[in-house]
Amino acid sequence: MPGKRSPARLIVALSVAAVLAVFLLYTSIAGGGTPSLIPSQAAGHAGRISVGGMVVGKPTGDAHAGGLHFRLRDPKGSATIPVVYTGSVPDLFRTGREVVVDGKLRSGVLVAVPDTLVTKCPSKYTPKT
Amino acid sequence: MSAALLIGALLAIASVVLVAAPFLREPAPADDRLLSPDAAQQRRLAHAEERDRALDALKELEFDHRTGKISDDDYRAQVGLLRRRAAETLRSDG
Amino acid sequence: MPDLGRAALVTSFLLLSYATVAGAFAAWHGRRRLAESAQNALVAAFAATVVATVVLLVALAQHDFSFTYVANHTSRELPLGYTLTAFWGGQEGSLLLWLLVLCGYSVAAVLTARRAGREVLSWVVPTLGLVGTFFALLLVFVASPFATQVAPADGAGLNPSLQNPYMAIHPPMLYLGYVGLTVPFAFAMGALLARRTDERWIVATRRWTLAAWAFLGVGQLLGAHWAYVEIGWGGYYAWDPVENAALMPWLAATAFLHSVMIQEKRGMLKVWNVLLVTLAFCLSLFGTFLTRSGIIQSIHSFTQSSIGPWFLGFICLITAGSLALIFLRLPLLRSKTRLESLVSREATFLYNNLLLVALALTILWGVVYPLLSEAVTGEAATVGKPYYNFFLHSFGLPLLLLMGIGPLVAWRRASLRALGRTFLWPLAAAVAAGIALLAAGAGSSRIGVIAYTFSVFVLASIVLEFVRGTSARKGLGDVGWPGAFSSLVARNRRRYGGYVVHAAVVLLAIGIAGSSAYQTVREGRLRPGDSMTVAGNRLVFRGFQTSTESNHRAIRANIDVYRGGEYIGRLRPGKNQYFAEGQVSNEVAIRHSVLTGGDLFLIADQVNADGSLDLKALDKPLVNLIWLAGLVFIGGSLITLWPDAREQRRLAERYEGAAVQA
Repeated sequence: MPGKRSPARLIVALSVAAVLAVFLLYTSIAGGGTPSLIPSQAAGHAGRISVGGMVVGKPTGDAHAGGLHFRLRDPKGSATIPVVYTGSVPDLFRTGREVVVDGKLRSGVLVAVPDTLVTKCPSKYTPKT
Repeated sequence: MSAALLIGALLAIASVVLVAAPFLREPAPADDRLLSPDAAQQRRLAHAEERDRALDALKELEFDHRTGKISDDDYRAQVGLLRRRAAETLRSDG
Repeated sequence: MPDLGRAALVTSFLLLSYATVAGAFAAWHGRRRLAESAQNALVAAFAATVVATVVLLVALAQHDFSFTYVANHTSRELPLGYTLTAFWGGQEGSLLLWLLVLCGYSVAAVLTARRAGREVLSWVVPTLGLVGTFFALLLVFVASPFATQVAPADGAGLNPSLQNPYMAIHPPMLYLGYVGLTVPFAFAMGALLARRTDERWIVATRRWTLAAWAFLGVGQLLGAHWAYVEIGWGGYYAWDPVENAALMPWLAATAFLHSVMIQEKRGMLKVWNVLLVTLAFCLSLFGTFLTRSGIIQSIHSFTQSSIGPWFLGFICLITAGSLALIFLRLPLLRSKTRLESLVSREATFLYNNLLLVALALTILWGVVYPLLSEAVTGEAATVGKPYYNFFLHSFGLPLLLLMGIGPLVAWRRASLRALGRTFLWPLAAAVAAGIALLAAGAGSSRIGVIAYTFSVFVLASIVLEFVRGTSARKGLGDVGWPGAFSSLVARNRRRYGGYVVHAAVVLLAIGIAGSSAYQTVREGRLRPGDSMTVAGNRLVFRGFQTSTESNHRAIRANIDVYRGGEYIGRLRPGKNQYFAEGQVSNEVAIRHSVLTGGDLFLIADQVNADGSLDLKALDKPLVNLIWLAGLVFIGGSLITLWPDAREQRRLAERYEGAAVQA
């Protein structure tokens, strides 16, 4: 019932507390996000990581049958990492393209989580060759 | 090229004219003050908003009652208060 | 020609700077003629920006590749329509569009919002001028659309996936929304600077805020539809930072639209309202910054650009300035009215606001998390769909429920008994729906069932509102049902238009729930003659067909669809290979079911050399309700925006009666 102190402040305080509680609950259960790395940083990470880099060399295999094998290189470096990927391959995927893929490291090879391969959408084309 | 020059010149002239217009129109005005409402006017304005709010609340109460959102008891309990508030604002006009 | 464009932009910059400085001086010292002059400067700045716009449009239409911008975003074979819409395809052009819309809105708002009062307007002009000066500064000194080069033979062209009507109209719609939020912000700051405590600024900007919010909403739906049919991964929203960039200000603006109603009716929440409008505007600036600076990894990443730091600086300036001003005027904003009961319409609006702001802030946290984690731990970490979905459910579902509860609760104080009676039918409908859904097997997704039952509750309460209102109106006078209905809506445009918008949001919720919680996905490799079944549809692959078009080669997989043994039709998903650009685009095949409102969505994932197809098929129930919701949303917004002569007269009386200078 209306007292001297407005219940509005109480509501706001309780809600902020509730939101924080929900938030902390989630982050404590789900963990703090997927590390976003380049190939040279990937070594040593257990668990799911997201690796971005340039596709180098010729991809081999089939993403829908047995896995697509390719190598990712640091955008501005030389460290590379082998990736084996299954799932949908974006149409823009090709050697020389910058891509990002999620996965787990197993014996130095990034085993990708299916369907997590994305290419950076270029705002311009590469010039006609 | 000369079309571009012409348009550019027109734009520049128009801009200067627009910006200078108030001063050209009234080179020596009687009163150049930007009047803000004085205390009395502010009070009247706040009052007008209070009055409209009270009348609006009354209207909504009636509507909510007619559409069944407010029970008869609640209506009776609130309508007196709202009517009085509205009457107050109307009475103390001006 | 480029010189004219550059000159026009410099003129615009000078005029906007003048409007800011002279306007502020005039407002501070109360000089009428100077204030008028500053206002005129805004008009002149608009004219100058229009000239710059026309110069760029003409250059585009003439394929003048000496303009770097034209060469980078168009080519000779590009159809005229897309050549012209390439105006906003790149960074410089979209900044120019921002400035154009801002100047247009500024002039229109200042000329038509006399009701706000001259002293408020005298502060609105420099505020709008300040924002405009920033964009003009970028355009003149940092990112000019009029850079020139030696003209190449042909331009770089436009990405084929951007060559469709949605991409043409989606950016202007969003910009009309983003930029439109500047108007209520400027008026709020104007009222604070002028030390006004009344509601005139809200009344004056109400329609502007509604329009901006509606454009922002429609723009997002257009973007989602484009993603669905063009990018074709089977979804319509990926929680990409650029998508979130538009969602956050929209959520804040939604909260603001509701809380100003409380301030109008009860005179409460003044501080909250100015904070909220500042938040909405800052989020809209932040959204522009996110989209244009490439600072956060995004599949849409536009070129990492030089304007990033400028934007960040401006946002900090605006945030600091607004907060300081609000703090200074805090004593003026204290209201005497108190929240009387935790069960009242004011309280429901407050809960609604808190949930909306919480959702916007958690999305913001998710968007900046990579930057923050990198700053703290040296390693950037991203949050994914599970994070966003969790909070969408935690905050969105209660919001959905509140949409049904709010309208049924009275102002000030609602007795639980009255609530029980008004809730009875909607509650019964929701429970019945819930039982029916569980019986029909919808229990596979708990969230889905909750979303559906809440939706039924809200829809029922909206229908009841219309029914009760119409019968009350009918009971008053001598009109039949149709007459009572139209009279009811005409006299209460905001309320009933708002209900229609709520109905649109419910349709959106049902569409989203159906197409995500209850979708079926099947993938497989098919040789000609093989088949695959998804949700009762048998898909038989008949083989590939290739054809050559003017600028691309089209490969299509012929897929015959059978339901219960009966042939339904042929779908042809595939790929297009564009000659000029050397790119491949994904062409999905979608079959709409009018009966269920769902889609059968086929993606030709991989065309294999041995003549086989890797096919991905999705059954997405109720997804078309999302697009239908867009139409209903437009309708509801139009109803609320429609000018109301009676209301205008009442407001005129109020302000004339108080004999305040217009």
